[in-house]
Amino acid sequence: MDDLSRFKQTYFDESAELMAVAEAGLLRLSPGDVDMDEVNAIFRAVHSIKGGAGAFGFSELVAFSHEFETVMDELRNGAIPVTTDLIDTLIRANDLLGQLLGCAGDEIDPPPGLTDDTVAALRHALAANRTGDPPQPVAESAAPPASATPDDEDDEAGIFGDALAAIHAARADDDPPGTGSGTADRVRWTIRFRPKSDLLLSGNEPAYMLRALRRLGEADIHCHLDDLPALADLDAELLHLSWTITLTADASVGRDRIDDVFEFVADDCDLQISADAPLPAVVEPSAPAASAAPPPPARTEPSAVPGPPAAQTTTTPATTSPATAKSDGAKTDGPAKPRSGNSGGDHGGLTTHTIRVDLDKIDRLVNMVGEMVITQAMIAEHLRDLPPGQFQELQEGLEQLAQHTRELRESVMSIRAQPVSSVFSRMPRLVRECATMTGKEVLLATSGENTEVDKTVVENLVDPLTHMIRNSIDHGLEGPEERERIGKPRAGTVHLSAQHRSGRIVIEVTDDGRGINRAKVLSKAIEKGLVQPGASLTDEEIDNLIFLPGFSTADQVSNLSGRGVGMDVVRRNISALGGRIGVYSTPGEGSRFVLSLPLTLAVLDGMVISVGEERFVLPLTNIVESLRPKPVDLHGLVNKCDVMMARGEYVRLVYLHRLFGIPKAVDDATRGLVVLVETEDGSRLGLVVDEVLGQQQVVIKSLESNFRRLDGVAAATILGDGRVALILDVAGLREMSRHSGDSDRARPTATPTPALAGPSPRQRQTV
Amino acid sequence: MTLIKWSEEAGRVRLTLPSDLDLPMAQPLLDSLRAAFAAANDVTVQADAVERVSAATVQTLVVAARDSAARGAVFAIATPSDSLSEACEDLGLQDWLKQWSRA
Repeated sequence: MDDLSRFKQTYFDESAELMAVAEAGLLRLSPGDVDMDEVNAIFRAVHSIKGGAGAFGFSELVAFSHEFETVMDELRNGAIPVTTDLIDTLIRANDLLGQLLGCAGDEIDPPPGLTDDTVAALRHALAANRTGDPPQPVAESAAPPASATPDDEDDEAGIFGDALAAIHAARADDDPPGTGSGTADRVRWTIRFRPKSDLLLSGNEPAYMLRALRRLGEADIHCHLDDLPALADLDAELLHLSWTITLTADASVGRDRIDDVFEFVADDCDLQISADAPLPAVVEPSAPAASAAPPPPARTEPSAVPGPPAAQTTTTPATTSPATAKSDGAKTDGPAKPRSGNSGGDHGGLTTHTIRVDLDKIDRLVNMVGEMVITQAMIAEHLRDLPPGQFQELQEGLEQLAQHTRELRESVMSIRAQPVSSVFSRMPRLVRECATMTGKEVLLATSGENTEVDKTVVENLVDPLTHMIRNSIDHGLEGPEERERIGKPRAGTVHLSAQHRSGRIVIEVTDDGRGINRAKVLSKAIEKGLVQPGASLTDEEIDNLIFLPGFSTADQVSNLSGRGVGMDVVRRNISALGGRIGVYSTPGEGSRFVLSLPLTLAVLDGMVISVGEERFVLPLTNIVESLRPKPVDLHGLVNKCDVMMARGEYVRLVYLHRLFGIPKAVDDATRGLVVLVETEDGSRLGLVVDEVLGQQQVVIKSLESNFRRLDGVAAATILGDGRVALILDVAGLREMSRHSGDSDRARPTATPTPALAGPSPRQRQTV
Repeated sequence: MTLIKWSEEAGRVRLTLPSDLDLPMAQPLLDSLRAAFAAANDVTVQADAVERVSAATVQTLVVAARDSAARGAVFAIATPSDSLSEACEDLGLQDWLKQWSRA
C-alpha cells in the first residue's frame, strides 16, 4: 500500500502541473482566435488527470473530469465554438477539478452537490451548440487534420510522459508505410484492437478511440463478441469486446496518426496495426515501448510479488492484481451517486509537496558543497599547525562546521538520489517479452526497489540490468518441460534485488536456472582463443570468462542474446560507473550476478598514496591489498617488465614514478610499497608507490571539463591541504604501462597459469 | 443495488434508460437487466433519452440480447436515441442495434 500512496503523491504532483497547464491554456483562449495546439494541450491535461483518477479509483474525479473532457473533445473537433461563456465555464471547471483533486488528496469526500452547477453548465454548453450544429464527422475534414488528434509533442501528457516519450522515440524508427509507397494514394490498414478487460477503469473509452479512427478515413469496424460472458457472469465494468478495424485512408495518414489514437492505452491493450498496401506486415506496437516505464497503473503492481506468469497468457489476463484493486475501488463508490455523508467543506485545492528543479541548479549546488568540503578540510589542516590548547573556541567552532558540512553534503547528495524502482519497474515488461520470445515461463520477483542511489547511476543501470535479465532468461533458465523433468517448478524465477551495503548499492540478479555450464564455457573460450588449451582455471575464473568481449555460449544467435555483445558491455558500463560485477553460479541451481555501485558519482572513497612529492588517489574499489615485497618475490624479465609473485600469482609491476616521470621517488619496490589493484575484468597489477597515506572521501572534479583528458587518470580532486591530486584509472594505467616502452610483448599479468612464455589470454582480450 | 427506472405490466418489463449511460451506470443497468429477466420473459429497454454512452453499457445490452436469444426470451431496444446509434456505429455494432431495436 505504501507503494500505491507514493504513486498517488506523484499523481497529485503531476496533476497540479497539468492543471496549471490547463489554466494557462484556458486563459489564453479567446473567441474567434482558437489555437488548436492550446485546446489539445488542455484536453490532454484533463484526460491525463482523468486517467490517473480512474487508476486510483477517485470516481467523482473521473466523473467530473469526464464531463470536462467531453466538452474539450468537442471543442478540439470544432463541433462547438469557443465563446466567452464557455471559457468562463471551463475555467470554473478547472478550478473545480483542483478542488476535487484536493479532496482526493486529503482523502475526504467533496461536499455534496459541489459539481452540480458546473456539470450542468458544461452539458448546457454541449447541448446548446449541438442542436444548432449537428455533430457530423464530415465537418472534421475541414479542420486541420493535426487538430483532430493529439499532436506529437506531448510534454503535457504528465504521468504518461515517460511512456509516451518512449513510444514516440520508437515511432521515429518506424517507417510510415504510407510514405514508403509513393505509389498508392490510399492505404488500407488493418487494426486489431483488443483492450485489456480493465481498460475502462482507467477512464478510457473505446468508443471515442474508434470514433477518432473513423475520422482518419473510411473505417469498417467489426466488433468481436466471442469473449462475452453470459448475463449472469458479466462484470459490468470489465470489457470483453475487441475489434478489427479496416481503415482506408489517404497516404498522408501515417502510422503515427493511428498510433496517436491509441496513445493513452498503449499499455492497456493488445494492438496490431498492419498496412495491407506497401511496407511492414505486422508491427507489434508493444515491442518498441519495451523500454518505457509503464504508466502509473502498472507501477502500482505489487512488484515484490512475482509478476504474472508470462509466456502466451499475456493476451487476456482476466483479472490481474491491479485490475482487481481498481475494480474494488471503483465498485465501492463507483455506481452510487457521489454523495456520501462526510462533509468536505470548501476545499482550497491541491497543495504540492514537491517542486521540480532544473538539474543544472542541483549540480551547481553539489559543486558548491564540494568546494565547501574542500575548504573546510583545508582549514582543518591549517588548524593542526596551531599550538594545542590555544584557540579552543575556534577549534570547537570548526568541529561544528565540519559536522554541518558533512550533513549538508549528505542532504545535497540525497537530492540527486532516486529510488531504483524507476529502473526495476521497467523489468516486468522486459521479462514478459523475453519469456514470450523464448517460450519459457518466468516469474520476476523484485525487492528493495526503494533503495536510493544517485540519479546518474539509476539512469545508467537500465542497460546493464536489461542485458543481465535477458541473459538470465535466455541462457540461465530452462524451458518449462525440462524444468518439470528435473523436478523444478515449470516457471523459472528471476529475482532482482537492491540494497545498501557499506556505502554502496548492491544489486543482484538471481535465477534458479541451470547455472553456468562451465565445461561449455571453457571449451568455447579455448575455441575462441581466449584461454590456452590445457590451462587449469578455477570454477570462479571460468564463470568470469563470460565477461570477456566476444564471448557467447549460445549455439544459435537469437534475437535476445548470443551475439557476444552483452556481458562484456555490462561489465564496461558498470565499471564506467565506478562499480564492480561478479558472478556466482551453482550448476543445476542457478546463477547470481552481483553488481556493486557507488551511491554517488560526486564523491569517491579513495586511498591517498604518495609518489615522490606527488599525491594520487586510488579508488578504493580497485584496491585488493598493499604489501611490501621481499627481494625473492621480484623477478625482472629480460625485456624490462618486472613481475612480482603475490599469493601464488605473477603480477606485473607498474612503477608510477616512471610512468608519470616523477622525480625523487622510491625506485626499489622492496623499500616502497606495492598496491595490488584489480581492473574491472579481474586482472591484477602491482602499483609501486612510496607510501600509502590513508583513506579519504574525495570530491570528484572532472579533469576533462577543467583541463583535458589524461591517460591513466580518471579525474582529479583537491586535498585538504589545497593540493590537486589525480584520481588514477587503473585500467588506463595498465594500457599505459603496456605501451610505455616497458615492453610491447607484455607478460601475463594475472593469468592463473604461471606460464611466462607466450602472450597471455587476458592480454589478447584487451588489446 | 441501484436499479434504473422500471415498469411492469402484463408480464412485460420496460426499463427506461437514463440520459447518462456512462460507465458508472453499467452496474445498475446490469443489475436491472438481471432483475428484469428474472421477473419477466419480455423485456424492452426504452432508449430514446440516452445522450451519453460507454462501451460498458453497450456491452451490457449486447450480453442481455444474446442471453435472451439463448433462453428464448423477448428483448428489444425501443427507439434508440441518436447518441446511442452513433455510439453503436463507432463500436461496430450498428447491425446489432438494427437487429434488436424497435422504433
